[in-house]
Amino acid sequence: MPDTRLALPLLCLLAAFPLAAADTPTEQGVAAFQEGRYLEASRLLQDALVADPRDEHARTFLALARAATGHCAEAVADLADGFQKSANPDLARLSGLALAQCFIAREETGQALPIAAQLEARFPGDADVLYLCAHVHMRAFNDATRRMFAGTPASYRVNQLSAEIFETQNKFAEAAAEYRKAIEKNPRALNLHFRLGRAILLESHSPEALAKAQAEFEAELALNAGDAAAEFQIGQIHNASGRAGEALRHFQKALDLSPDFPEAALAVGRIRVQAKQYAEAIPLLERVVKMQPANEPAHYSLMIAYRNSGQLDKARSEQQVLEKLQRPPEGKFTDFLKRLGEKAPAQ
Amino acid sequence: MKVLAALAVLALLALPRTGPDFRDIARQAGLTASFPNGGEKTKEYIVETTGSGVAFIDYDNDGYLDIFVLSGEGGTNRMYHNDHNGHFTDVTAELGLTSSGWAEGVCAGDYDNDGYTDLFVTYWGQNRLYRNVNGKRFEDVTAKAHLTQDRVRYNTGCAFLDYDGDGRLDLFVANYLKFDFATTPNAGANPYCFYRGMAVNCGPRGLPFETNLLYHNQGDGTFEDVSVKSGIARANGHYSLAVLAQDVNDDGRPDIYVVGDQTPATLFINQGDGTFTEEAVMRGVAFDENGRELSGMGLASADYDGDGLLDIFRSDFSDERSLLYRNTGNGQFDDVTMTAGLAKNTRFVNWGCAFLDFENSGWKGLVVVNGHVFPEIDRQNIDIHSRDHATLYRNTGQGTFEDISAQAGPAFALRHSARGLAIGDIDNDGTLEILANNQNEPPSLWKQSQRAPGHWLLLKFAGTRSNRSAIGARVAVTAGGRTQVDEVRSGGSYLSQNDLRLHFGLAAAARADSISIRWPSGAKTLLKDVEADRVVTIAEP
Repeated sequence: MPDTRLALPLLCLLAAFPLAAADTPTEQGVAAFQEGRYLEASRLLQDALVADPRDEHARTFLALARAATGHCAEAVADLADGFQKSANPDLARLSGLALAQCFIAREETGQALPIAAQLEARFPGDADVLYLCAHVHMRAFNDATRRMFAGTPASYRVNQLSAEIFETQNKFAEAAAEYRKAIEKNPRALNLHFRLGRAILLESHSPEALAKAQAEFEAELALNAGDAAAEFQIGQIHNASGRAGEALRHFQKALDLSPDFPEAALAVGRIRVQAKQYAEAIPLLERVVKMQPANEPAHYSLMIAYRNSGQLDKARSEQQVLEKLQRPPEGKFTDFLKRLGEKAPAQ
Repeated sequence: MKVLAALAVLALLALPRTGPDFRDIARQAGLTASFPNGGEKTKEYIVETTGSGVAFIDYDNDGYLDIFVLSGEGGTNRMYHNDHNGHFTDVTAELGLTSSGWAEGVCAGDYDNDGYTDLFVTYWGQNRLYRNVNGKRFEDVTAKAHLTQDRVRYNTGCAFLDYDGDGRLDLFVANYLKFDFATTPNAGANPYCFYRGMAVNCGPRGLPFETNLLYHNQGDGTFEDVSVKSGIARANGHYSLAVLAQDVNDDGRPDIYVVGDQTPATLFINQGDGTFTEEAVMRGVAFDENGRELSGMGLASADYDGDGLLDIFRSDFSDERSLLYRNTGNGQFDDVTMTAGLAKNTRFVNWGCAFLDFENSGWKGLVVVNGHVFPEIDRQNIDIHSRDHATLYRNTGQGTFEDISAQAGPAFALRHSARGLAIGDIDNDGTLEILANNQNEPPSLWKQSQRAPGHWLLLKFAGTRSNRSAIGARVAVTAGGRTQVDEVRSGGSYLSQNDLRLHFGLAAAARADSISIRWPSGAKTLLKDVEADRVVTIAEP
């Protein structure tokens, strides 16, 4: 059964492929393909292959034409050859894209994934390739989700995944409700209370929300006393509530549990700066910027710590690093963003 | 000294702590006109979101504060005369203040030193300088003063200040961005025109930046644009809104702090030679504690912790913290929002803000009015609202604030989409009132049902060698074992003007031991043993 959904994508992808003079059957077939006359292209390219069975160009374009008309089963082997062996990078790229789309059309997402990975490695930054990769991974996610929902509908994992999906949609109240269902089904499962606490905080920072979230992080710690992230979140809540002493205790505990936890080290460092304990604060903050050289909050806190401790040269140096990190990158993306402020002619 | 400090604490504790009881008296005071400002359910363009400011000024020198309220397109700015009996009369037309257009901000100062307070009103469009003619009328002298702009600009906050110490008030005007209806994309047109998944008006991101303006007072009724030669225009890349003109590094010269939307704040340090350098980052007032720019809306300053240094509060957008910067000396600041207990209310878009001692306890609390820029937010049924209640914080005297909005009277339960806010004492009873501009509604005028319990002083200043409004005068009042400092300022809050007089709560002290003034000219005045609970006018020697 041909899958005609493939026709349009391939025609789009071919737009930039160079046109050749159409003298030979192969060239005539390629020209027909480029113009979207896939059936005619197939016939011409088959004739070319009869005349010269070693014509790899004709073989690859025939496979593309077949894929474009939904005959993936007959095309896959030659598309794979074209992708792996073609000396022409444009043809290799096109073959790879068509091959992956064939696998997606045949619901063989597992086969499409490695092709997408190879394409991305060979053609980094290519919009068509990145689009395909996003599509393949989304399909893989959807397939696995469908299998889980159909196969294990009563599992707490169904609720957990539903909650995580709601989170991506900024529906934090719905996410919290799903996390609560998951916890009811499996009260001992790790990470659920933590995620619930986080969803509550993402929904609101009201005093009531802070109290509820804190209770969830504490519940997570009751299940796993070594959860540095839960300790850190409790520290954040105390800090936001103006209880710096309590906050410091939890931040320090998070750091003790996970010595390379940059956010915890930064939080401890900041409270030490406010307490004018620069000798304790500065080494911590220096460690954070060493761990994460692009961590802007850490550079800023270190700048303030140096400034307050009278080390103005070091403070200025940190300011320069910060300014460099904050500078928007030059290039196409920035230019694109700038143009967004202009009204389109149609408006 | 320790004994005095202990006595001061005891005095504070002795005051009743039942909490203030603010009520909205706008209607009975005669403030019934509504002030249009863009759409109520949806706003198509950013210009509908930012207006407008309010002012408390005594335009006729009768000793009572009058009220000036700005309007967006479709209405007029209005001046209300204080009738001395709790009522105000609309005198807009007879004063020559009838107007149209998108008014944004207002600041006051006697730019011609004739003894009458003048007004400057900023616009998306042409600004207006109103010269106060003997308290009888206002004359639009914009063109005569060379303040007409050569193109449409989005002017926002403003402040009069004497940056070069010549005894004449100069003028700073913040600019938001470049906007016009013809070229700004429609709501939802691109990713900058969405908020929480909803198509909303575009900006500020995506719209071109605009630079700020500094005008030098030439002393002949005209101003010269010195934005470039003063270094002010060098700072680009900011969507500027509120202005705080005060001496942040205590060197006797006014500096200029400006917060902006989604961009780092700027702090222009006065070099004393007619130029400024921008130093916000190193001085700790450009960002939050993460080194990230927020959306700064309003500004207020006070010595909240009693160390003799003026600190800064800035109001910010929802999902951000409004920030308290503690002055650590030499004009350097630390972000102490968390430890001060001000990090809890992140669901409001904060606008007008002011420090005020609403209990006359000697410790200035903080009021902030709120309201979202996107009315569409109400469709989401979350705890962020288009119209929201204001917040009132009590200063504990221990370096922290507590949110007492729920116990501060019915006024703090009312929901408005408020913008400008100003503080003043409309009846000279030592208990401060709060004025706010609400979009598409009459303004709010909040008054306590009972007088604040502590003693107080209300100080009015008259410059002679300095500018007549004494803008920039630094004042220290010592009473009951504590010294409080403040400064006379033009502009501030969100595009608004507070009472130019300075209010000091004295708690249990019936007299101030001393009042010392450092005038902008450098002259000093020292008054001793001043009786409290009255308005005191002090002239520069």
